[in-house]
Amino acid sequence: MTLAEKRKLGSVLVVGAGVAGIQASLDMANSGFYVHLVDRSPSVGGIMAQLDKTFPTNDCAMCVISPFLVEVGRHLNIHVIPCSELERLDGEKGDFKATIVNHPRYIDTEKCTGCGQCRQVCPVVAINEFNCGLDLRKATYIPYPQAVPLAYAIDRNACIGCGMCEKVCLAGAVTYDDKTKITELEVGSVILAPGGEMYDPKEADSWSYSHPNVVTSLEFERILSASGPYRGHLMRPYDREEPEKIAWLQCVGSRDINRAKNSHCSSVCCMYAIKQTMIAKEHSAHELDTAIFYMDMRTYGKDFDKYYSRAKEERGVRFIRSRVHSIEPVENGNLRLRYVKESGESVEEIFNMVVLSVGFKPSSGVETIAKKLGLTLNEQHFFRTGDIRPVATSRDGVYVCGVSHGPKDIPQSVMEASAAASVATSDLSSARWSATRTPQLPPETDFSKMVPRIGVFVCNCGINIGGVADVPAIREYAKTLPHVVHVEDNLFTCSQDTQERMKQVIREKNINRVVVASCSPRTHEPLFQETIREAGLNKYLFEMANIRDQNTWVHKNNPDLATAKAKDLVRMAVAKAEYIEPLHQVKLDVKPAVLIVGGGVAGMEAALGAAEQGFQAYLVEKTDTLGGMAHQLRKTWQGEDIPAYLERLIKDVTNHSKIQIFLNTKPVHFTGTIGSFTTTLNDIHTGNPNGIIEHGAAILATGGREYRPEGYQYGNRPDVMTHLDLDQAMKDTPATVMNADTIVFIQCVGSRNSDRPYCSRVCCTHTLKNAIELKKIKPGMNIFVMYRDVRSYGFRESLYQEARALGVHFIRFDPENPPQMNIAENNILTITVTDHILQRPIVISPDLVVLAAAVLPNENKELFELFKVPVNAEGFLVEAHAKLRPVDFGSEGLFLAGLAHYPKSIDESIAQARAAVSRAVTIVSKDGIMVGGVVAAVNPDRCAVCCTCVRACPYGIPFIGNEGHAVIQQAECHGCGVCVSECPGKAITLQHFTDQQLIAKTRALFYQPAMNE
Amino acid sequence: MNPSFEPKILAFLCNWCSYAGADLAGISRIQYPPNIRVIRTMCSGRVDPLFIVNALDEGFDGVYVGGCHIGDCHYQDGNLYTLKRFDALQKLMDLTGISRNRVHLKWASAAEAQIFADNITYVTQVIRDLGPFERDSRLLPLQAMKRTLTSQRYRWLVGIDRKITGDKNVYNEKTPVPLFEKVFSEALQGEYQKALVVECTKDNPLSVHEISGRTGLPPYTISCRLNELSQDGITGIGRVDGRTPKFISRAA
Repeated sequence: MTLAEKRKLGSVLVVGAGVAGIQASLDMANSGFYVHLVDRSPSVGGIMAQLDKTFPTNDCAMCVISPFLVEVGRHLNIHVIPCSELERLDGEKGDFKATIVNHPRYIDTEKCTGCGQCRQVCPVVAINEFNCGLDLRKATYIPYPQAVPLAYAIDRNACIGCGMCEKVCLAGAVTYDDKTKITELEVGSVILAPGGEMYDPKEADSWSYSHPNVVTSLEFERILSASGPYRGHLMRPYDREEPEKIAWLQCVGSRDINRAKNSHCSSVCCMYAIKQTMIAKEHSAHELDTAIFYMDMRTYGKDFDKYYSRAKEERGVRFIRSRVHSIEPVENGNLRLRYVKESGESVEEIFNMVVLSVGFKPSSGVETIAKKLGLTLNEQHFFRTGDIRPVATSRDGVYVCGVSHGPKDIPQSVMEASAAASVATSDLSSARWSATRTPQLPPETDFSKMVPRIGVFVCNCGINIGGVADVPAIREYAKTLPHVVHVEDNLFTCSQDTQERMKQVIREKNINRVVVASCSPRTHEPLFQETIREAGLNKYLFEMANIRDQNTWVHKNNPDLATAKAKDLVRMAVAKAEYIEPLHQVKLDVKPAVLIVGGGVAGMEAALGAAEQGFQAYLVEKTDTLGGMAHQLRKTWQGEDIPAYLERLIKDVTNHSKIQIFLNTKPVHFTGTIGSFTTTLNDIHTGNPNGIIEHGAAILATGGREYRPEGYQYGNRPDVMTHLDLDQAMKDTPATVMNADTIVFIQCVGSRNSDRPYCSRVCCTHTLKNAIELKKIKPGMNIFVMYRDVRSYGFRESLYQEARALGVHFIRFDPENPPQMNIAENNILTITVTDHILQRPIVISPDLVVLAAAVLPNENKELFELFKVPVNAEGFLVEAHAKLRPVDFGSEGLFLAGLAHYPKSIDESIAQARAAVSRAVTIVSKDGIMVGGVVAAVNPDRCAVCCTCVRACPYGIPFIGNEGHAVIQQAECHGCGVCVSECPGKAITLQHFTDQQLIAKTRALFYQPAMNE
Repeated sequence: MNPSFEPKILAFLCNWCSYAGADLAGISRIQYPPNIRVIRTMCSGRVDPLFIVNALDEGFDGVYVGGCHIGDCHYQDGNLYTLKRFDALQKLMDLTGISRNRVHLKWASAAEAQIFADNITYVTQVIRDLGPFERDSRLLPLQAMKRTLTSQRYRWLVGIDRKITGDKNVYNEKTPVPLFEKVFSEALQGEYQKALVVECTKDNPLSVHEISGRTGLPPYTISCRLNELSQDGITGIGRVDGRTPKFISRAA
């Protein structure tokens, strides 16, 4: 083939199914690509599935991730390939051939129903990796109860081949003759997300880790978790006593080149330690003393500093700035910690338990993959990436996201995953929808005039239900219920053959409502709905009775009562089924265009990203130039040239045929719903309209600015400047800087105070970079950095090490006692600060003072009100979910990127912009958006325009329309039903959960059919 | 030790060799100590280890199991099963602190009357030297042993051992003997320790330290076994006294 005819494939490969791999897969599958998702473990989920709660919202990790797991598992265009590894990659960008090794699992995932009988009889135990070795699992196991695919696996290393599991498996899923297989996949690009592992303290002979009461932070997550070995009851492992005092030791395996040989900061440990102290206190019935021993408290993310002060001030967590030098087991399972306070005083303290805040290291897969694919690693053995192309590896067409190229938290991983999804598919846009599958469905039968004819399928679930409750009795009972025309019981109602049979029975007996009495609708309703839809029924003509998870599994010792309860649940389901109605989703047109507000780096990257994906981009900028804040920056933290990049970016954006740029423009009118918005643009100076545009999604990248400090004589003297002033001076008049013999950097000017209780994230790195550069040019220069905590997170820690090695002086100060500036009569400037080691004030006479001024969001009150997007107390835009939806707004179809969201470095802004593109493309790539189903509907005749629904809606969706009644857009309603239960006039109905349907269920509980004996 | 102590020993003899050998000893008037009481079984393979523990629990000071020589079994290889089980039983006894010398497995053919008599003489002396079996102070280990020996995990492993290590397992391979032994001793120890915990917490809730006091197991071992018992839904926290959770078992 010649260059011009190069194939572009519409399928992609994702390696690693942690939260990053999952997000990348969902984004790509939802925007027209077929995704192969490979993971070497038997199920998806990664480390996030092991966490108890997540900071800074203390949300339950499993509750937020499990809908994503289920979606990945059931997605028509995601092919989950567990127990597999990428062996080699041939070909080039756009047209790769990936060779995958499929390791034997010995249990057929298609047949396994996840019932768990095999686990119960397996006589062999092995370390339970999911609970970090705190307890044991069987050789036949499922990594965790919510695992996807919900199928067991045999651990061949532990298995002795006794054959017991096969004997009890009623689904016939055990396949001992399973062999290693090789599969080849043709894919257009590859995203690597193999993730990280936690540092293993066993690697160094410190910390008394062999003592049961010394646990790693991940082990402690499992101890706190309600699904962990202690069911969330806070007990220490040695003797299950509830601890009175717990110590956390930070930087175990991070920032440590002596014991751990890991120089990087792991970025997440400060926050998770704070979270663990708070959750531990919540779990403890008595007073719990918690102490965190740390070097620098690195709470640099959005709302992190507030979380830190809440822990310190409201929850009484003790923060002790000290490295503990010895942990010694003493009597009663306790541990004696010895440490030196900042004052130099030596302290001994006894704790009941010690948690080691272990850092990240790259997963063992990273090095293997790098070798096989010929990728470059960095000094810490993570994948190497740059700042300007933050998710690109050293091989074209191969991208990376998540912890495998640097320690980071969940939102950053998710953001990067979306970014990688967008960059990985931008060259493949010509192949969009070419490899995806669409379900072929028969037309729906119209039952509107017919009486209900209900079919009931009672599941035995192997022996999970039938082994406790009397399934034949439940089956016979169901026959006596009104409108029931068919009843049967199945060994496994979810098995492939039963599904086929169900379709056949529906057709033969003209069944128009289906009830399945089995497991949980949470996991299985979509499957059954799909089946009845294939039989021509509307998918809503379905109801489930949960007689396993909430009956036989929990009433094992009361079989008679379990049978009676199952009958009740079936009767209630049948009663609701009588009233359920088909619901039809409506297809709304999608405008294949994206509006981007803000012409800085984030906005331009977003516009370019959308255009590269083949969609029209409208880039709106209120000033007369593109580029924003980046014009004032010189280099990224890794030393890449920003002006050259910016020039190239502006050129690319300006020249792209799919990008229309509106300078001196602001949006003044905005209407519509997801997929179809209309925005009116006005000239900012004349007020004249310069365009009405239609677009399917919008990205707000309205940027931020540097705080102009008050105090420290800023603005009054040329020798006091901010970071940006310094950068400007270095560019324009370097001599004015280089003439200085002594420079003082003062950190946190305007940040981390009562006005702005947040960390500006970029300033420590900025100071370190400048200090290093100055020291390199003029080694004799005295540089003092006055700081509160040095927050050089991730690999930026190397800058801190370098600066110290070059002789930069770091002096810590307390917020109560900040550096004082004095101007003597002879105009000589001095800075006085109390040194925390010397414990006395020292006076420095600098030639130059550099203030690390805060990063502020640009003020755009009108604009944000126009788009109805929320801002927090500090004026930053608020995303839909702090963890898993970091670039989405709560309102569908709107996204955010860059400094408007929170202070961030340029690489992070680029990644977030590309992520916003990925999210927007999941909308604009479709020819229509299906809306409706379980949503609220207003009956205009009953609406009294009282606005109760407008106030009650958690998403602010209802409004009073021009016709004089409440309007709830189907496309926007999330279907919770709060407004329905609030509406004084009962004018609102939540479809599929109507009053009538829910009351019918209640009434059925006390209804006894006439034929019942 | 009381020199006049005469142990009570229960003997299980297989019909075809040891029982016949014992008869021949009678016919031949070969004398041996009068301490054994014999139960005839068709094959030594009928002797469930539970019978042996039961005998100790009922008041015997020792148990003798007599079968055919290896290779002579009337039922082809019934005595090989006996051998495996007996070995497992003695390993279990080692965990309990009850001397493994209270139980003996000896082979004697129908023609080996003298050997049978010598065996009995020897075994009687060994048990006599051990002194009386203090059943009342051993109630907890005895109950725990019974629970262990009736567990499905233990019985399944004993039963499958010869097939998978000697013939082939489900993967058409021989399971390596060291691997099986490791799994088996983990199972034996695990089941016994769990049984001890269940036995002492089935009536009233106890703390880990209290369980440790009654069973002699280290607290951390108990903590680990509680994980498995909780997974199986057998043991959980009954109540919390101050900061001390007390565990109770729903004994089946």
